[in-house]
Amino acid sequence: METSREDVGIAVRSAFLRKGTQQRFSLLVLVIISISLLLIESVETKPLNYLRSIIKDTIYRSSLVVSGPSKGFNYVVQKVKDHTNLYNNLNQLKQENNQLKSKISREDFLKLENTQLRKLIDEQVDSPINLVSARVMLDKQSPYLNSFIINIGINKKIKKGLAVKDGSNFIGRIVDVNFFSSRVLLITDLNSKIPVIVEPSGNHAILSGHGSDLPDLQYLPENNKVKEGDKIYTSGKEGIFSPGIPIGKVKKKDGHLNVELFSDLDQITFVNIVLSNSEENK
Amino acid sequence: MAILFKNFKFNIFRTLPLIMLFFISLHGSSIIDLKLFSINISYILVYFWVLRQPATMGYGFIFISGIITDVVFGLPLGVNALSLLIIAAVAAYVRVVTVNITLINDWISFIPALLIANLIYFISLSFSNISIDYLSLFTNSVFTFAFYPILWAFFSLFLKVIRF
Repeated sequence: METSREDVGIAVRSAFLRKGTQQRFSLLVLVIISISLLLIESVETKPLNYLRSIIKDTIYRSSLVVSGPSKGFNYVVQKVKDHTNLYNNLNQLKQENNQLKSKISREDFLKLENTQLRKLIDEQVDSPINLVSARVMLDKQSPYLNSFIINIGINKKIKKGLAVKDGSNFIGRIVDVNFFSSRVLLITDLNSKIPVIVEPSGNHAILSGHGSDLPDLQYLPENNKVKEGDKIYTSGKEGIFSPGIPIGKVKKKDGHLNVELFSDLDQITFVNIVLSNSEENK
Repeated sequence: MAILFKNFKFNIFRTLPLIMLFFISLHGSSIIDLKLFSINISYILVYFWVLRQPATMGYGFIFISGIITDVVFGLPLGVNALSLLIIAAVAAYVRVVTVNITLINDWISFIPALLIANLIYFISLSFSNISIDYLSLFTNSVFTFAFYPILWAFFSLFLKVIRF
């Protein structure tokens, strides 16, 4: 009995402590380094944050290079698909062209009218929201986390918690910022909880992701009047996001209230980040 | 000249598993997500090569590849590195205590490796603010285990080519 226990001890020591042929580190040392990294992950100091940003930026750029061939392949596949749909596209484009021609004449008139009205009220056109655009650099969806990397970071004054939009629709928030890249946590992720308002009922709720395409609408009052098709907007209650950014519409599924998003999160190439309200800056 | 060429070919083939490990880590495909289920390829890769040809898979490289996976997937630094090192540790232990190399032996001993690695994964994440779908983690473990023989056959064939 004692001999077999000794054997196990020898085997464990051999596995963990011996470096073996062509091994520079023993497993035990690397395990200790990994645990130390995990422990210092929550420590927020400037040198550590700088180091983390450098490591992450370097890995994101390398990942972009490695993903190049597969992206190229997907591009070629898409091009082949586009060519096979050429005839249908041509007919569709002809129809669209006719519609656009008729719209242009009306648009010219509207432009003229708009210029005259602006002159009249001496309006200074100013967007109430300060936006910055970014390109999706890496979109590596893990089965556990829904997020992607964008190509701007501290260099464009990006901060943690800022709202991210696809066009005018809310799709997520910034959770990690490096020098030249940032991570966007999508609203479908398990860790995403966004305060929202349902229109027209005006009920407040929390939009909670759970990994699938349809996030849940939670913490609604018991006597709510939420119906299928009601629109969901950010409520701005937590004070970080602007209120009234459209998110999606209510969809009832198996007795649960889910939200069908206005944006297709798999098809996003460019995003807008809401830096702050210009009114707040003033 | 022929010996030099043979050595060159041998070295290229020998580093291929390591190149593959780094490629899948950087490409973000260490976990292949097939909508209904997912498979952790890096676990299988590390387990097989540490068990069968430890010289091709340095522990330091496994650690770095884990760190890369953590960064690409947005997890706290060290989670995947620790899990992969645990897989490597179990493989190294199994290598010391077993004599015969068979698929069944490898496959069965892969169960504790997966269980311990995922337990470590679970514990590491529970200390951070990140929540994950633990059902997905469980199905991932089951399908990684089920997928092992296929990659085992492929890697064994590859190993024969290297040794040849």
